[in-house]
Amino acid sequence: MTNAMGREAVTEPLNPLGVDGIEFIEFATSKPQALGGVLEQMGFRPIARHRSREVELYRQGSMNIIVNAQPADVPRTVQPVETPIISAFAVRVHDADAAFHRALELGAWEIPVRARAMELNIPAIHGVGESLIYFVDRYTEFSIYDVDFHAIPTVDPHPPALGGMRFFGLVQYVGAGRTEDWVEFYAQIFGFKPLAPEVRFGILPKGLLLQSPCRGFYLQLIEPDDTAQYAPADEQLQRLGFGTPDVLATVALLEKRGIEFLASEKVHTSERGALTKARLGSVMFELVHDVPAQPAATR
Amino acid sequence: MIFGDFGMDTASLAGSLESKLAAIRRAGFSQVMISAGDVVGHPAGVAGGARVVRDSGLRVTGLEALRDFEGLSGRLHGYKVDVAKSMLEVCGALGGRVLLVEASTSTHADASAEAIVRDLRMLAMLAIPMGIRIAFKGVSWSRTVTDFSAAGDLVFRANCPNLGLAVDAFDVLAARIPLADLEAIDPQQIFLVQLSDYMWQQIRSVEEAATTATHFRVFPGEGAHSDDLARFVSALDGIGYCGDYSFDVYNDDYQQMPAETVVARAHRAAEWLAETVLRRALPVPDMERLARSNRR
Repeated sequence: MTNAMGREAVTEPLNPLGVDGIEFIEFATSKPQALGGVLEQMGFRPIARHRSREVELYRQGSMNIIVNAQPADVPRTVQPVETPIISAFAVRVHDADAAFHRALELGAWEIPVRARAMELNIPAIHGVGESLIYFVDRYTEFSIYDVDFHAIPTVDPHPPALGGMRFFGLVQYVGAGRTEDWVEFYAQIFGFKPLAPEVRFGILPKGLLLQSPCRGFYLQLIEPDDTAQYAPADEQLQRLGFGTPDVLATVALLEKRGIEFLASEKVHTSERGALTKARLGSVMFELVHDVPAQPAATR
Repeated sequence: MIFGDFGMDTASLAGSLESKLAAIRRAGFSQVMISAGDVVGHPAGVAGGARVVRDSGLRVTGLEALRDFEGLSGRLHGYKVDVAKSMLEVCGALGGRVLLVEASTSTHADASAEAIVRDLRMLAMLAIPMGIRIAFKGVSWSRTVTDFSAAGDLVFRANCPNLGLAVDAFDVLAARIPLADLEAIDPQQIFLVQLSDYMWQQIRSVEEAATTATHFRVFPGEGAHSDDLARFVSALDGIGYCGDYSFDVYNDDYQQMPAETVVARAHRAAEWLAETVLRRALPVPDMERLARSNRR
């Protein structure tokens, strides 16, 4: 009866929360320096440390990455282990509190408040696997990092992006037959919209793409190749995608910095995209050809 | 395994969770529907009970049952959402994929379809990150959703991929629902079918239906409506249903009998359904294995 494409038209506004891109992506790992090394090779710079937690902020251009080594204190969240895991992403919205409460009414699971004195309470819900999704509305005049983080002295707080890279999307592995469930989740809570199956970005021809209501960010849902065993435990945010206007030039810049790219018959660097080799057991980044100046609808 | 589609229900048996699971397994069943009380009331706590279930080697058909969830407001709604979240967490801990939800019988509940649909959608959304499907079942003594047709309408309106139907043969037999109604249901939308019969020819009132359903059910083939039950299962097969069947037999007498005796009755029921009603052919490799084991 139902399928992801053939649903009734959404009667709500197309961007009910005022979604405006991704504020940060968070990795959890018990070896934050090892991951920091990989991020620096990818062009990120460490710029600030959290006031009370073992948490660092890396940045390049418009992209913020949080490296969290703090042991988890909430059930069903990522316990940092050696292999880094994408443990959260933060969605920029018009009103974080309103977005959060709307999500709870729709059936999201809330995360208990963890802020300490003088820290911001950033509302969050459970996402895929053990990951979290934060709602952030302070990103224009001042940012969440101004409050909760100490800047690292002498470091440029706004390092430019290598090759014009920006956040493009997240790849989420889902269980067999679970794509429709996750389409429902992201559509209802955030207003993500599934794209037609023939729409493809990058070099990997798999999965269903969901476009953010601000049209600036994508989620790619990928089911396992074999339909063997349905295993919700294996669902996770698997890798991060960066958009860049010139994939080949950016690949060349990154290769000079020691980043290696996959070069198999099936997956290899092209003008459309590239995929880094896995580092630290799991960390991969995908490059996708993307020209932000172009109107999103005609891409 | 000749009857892999059929599963037992822990609520049908007396004894500890461990002894129930062992009896079910020994009788040759491969799946089991878990009554929440069996896990939550386990002496080793929920985590211990969940481990017992996961280590049993039986596949968990689902967890039962969330009741009187939908249509509430204010503090009652908040309370029931907490109950639902707790049941989803238990279901997740068991490795269960289905949570059975019975239509509300509460007089405090708003009976409007809008309220029910809104709450079912919320419940389904809560279940998505946990990989759990919600099987919604009409019950004949509910104020609003008395059968699978009414439940199907609401599920259709809610339009959530992980929200579907549980169809209980007892309700179909007791209320004499025409089998043609099944043809209006998309088989993909049926997440669970529960099978049982009862001894009397006729049920005369809603009160009698409720009492019979909770105390006097028997296994398929044991009751007074074997022919109707056979037609019901054949009709499900006919519309293309190929999901799980669970024996939801709540019987006070069976609570006073050894679990082995009760599972033996369930075993006969499964054989009757598989061989006589559905005429399930054995897959060839199983035939060979059977022949080998017979020769030993």
